[in-house]
Amino acid sequence: MIILALSAMVGTSKLMAPYLSELSHRDDAERFQQLASYILLNSGTPPNWGQMEDTKPISLGLAKADSSLPYELDIDKVSRLNSGNSYYLTYSELWEALGVKDATFQIEIKTLFDLSISLISNSTLGNQTVYEFVVATRKSGMPISTYLSSYVVVDNFVDNVTSSTGSNGVGSLTVYIPNSVNGTALMLVFAKAQVNPQMVSFNTYAFSHNSSPATLPNGTFARLSPLNDVLNASLVYPTTEILKAQIFTFNYNFSLTKKAQGTQTVEYFVPQLLDASPIIMVLTGYNGSTSFAEWVSYPQLPLLIGVDFSESIAGSKTVSISHIATINFALYEVVTKWGGLS
Amino acid sequence: MFDQKGQIRIIEAFLAVAVIFSVLLISVTFPSSPNLDNQKSLANMGTQALITLDTNGTLGNLILQENWTDIKTSLDILLPIGVSFNLTIYDDNLRLVSSQAIQNSNLLGHEAVSVQYVCAVQNLNVQFFVLRLQLAWTR
Repeated sequence: MIILALSAMVGTSKLMAPYLSELSHRDDAERFQQLASYILLNSGTPPNWGQMEDTKPISLGLAKADSSLPYELDIDKVSRLNSGNSYYLTYSELWEALGVKDATFQIEIKTLFDLSISLISNSTLGNQTVYEFVVATRKSGMPISTYLSSYVVVDNFVDNVTSSTGSNGVGSLTVYIPNSVNGTALMLVFAKAQVNPQMVSFNTYAFSHNSSPATLPNGTFARLSPLNDVLNASLVYPTTEILKAQIFTFNYNFSLTKKAQGTQTVEYFVPQLLDASPIIMVLTGYNGSTSFAEWVSYPQLPLLIGVDFSESIAGSKTVSISHIATINFALYEVVTKWGGLS
Repeated sequence: MFDQKGQIRIIEAFLAVAVIFSVLLISVTFPSSPNLDNQKSLANMGTQALITLDTNGTLGNLILQENWTDIKTSLDILLPIGVSFNLTIYDDNLRLVSSQAIQNSNLLGHEAVSVQYVCAVQNLNVQFFVLRLQLAWTR
């Protein structure tokens, strides 16, 4: 009888274990939903931790301080999540600041739709070269009709070309660059959805104009970190010479004013613009005979920080939560993924 | 006498085990309460999409212009891929305003959640519209 009773107890506990475990995680999704909203609706402590480059938040929150708009994020707090920024926060610092010890997370912030640029042809016409690009604006394959504003930057030369993408999400841009300039050229393209000017996307395309060497990856010559309306350029080589620093949005472009210069650092003032558009800042210059065009976006997007859930153990519960957030009048998608600590 | 007592105890133990296992079987096979987490998250996404679209009066102006195509495209961009929706717009007397279906695919056969949102438009006088957004995960 004792054996029977014991085996019944063992059997019961074996059978019930997964169900009891499931019950204990039953409210996880609701809890993670609340945590995601908390991060996006609260400004954290101190409320302006994003602007203070040496300050780490005591409590995590990405919302803009004193904002009357829900889900309006602070441009600097967002930029400090990007590992490309000199003042970025590590995942462990963010996890500590969130203060929820039994939860792991990932934050992804990106534009609402994708913009791709392809160079399809180039030809010489008199004393200039004609480049033809095809631009596609899509959201997971679904075409988006947009208005396009593009800039081509080489050395001191800048030109603006506008166009649009049709109902198939495809459009073309033709730029003319004089052959009197040469080196790394940068094509910047901004897109605004025709249905709503707050829905924006952007991308860049680097190519070599009138010179043979291939273009080098962005960040080879300078690390650009925008924060608190100042662009900090940290130069990789002491021989690097900056020719021009410029700012671009969908509607505007102009030169940046220098704030300070160090041995291998330069700072520029970044003006506050009311354009519902991401900002792209470009530095052109030379390192010896090699020309460069380094760029950075403000807010510094796209970004992905946190735990890589794609490698999590099969069967472990992961919750993905999507929100729409506003940064500087433009709309972005914020996807947070959550999991428990086993 | 002693043997008979022992037999009854064994039968009693078997019965006890049978009772425990039958309770377990019933609890395992019984349908658990539906998981409402996905529905809640879908409803939150729908509400947030409508609030975002209503910022700066965009949604109200699109309704006044009867521009159903732009409302549908805006929701297509704001909602994640894999979410089907069907939006119906009524005036403040609950008369149907949207003359055509504002939807990206059919919700039939999917577990849908409904979100209700009131949109105010201010021009010469204030007008109210009631929006009913039905959403479902299709994948």
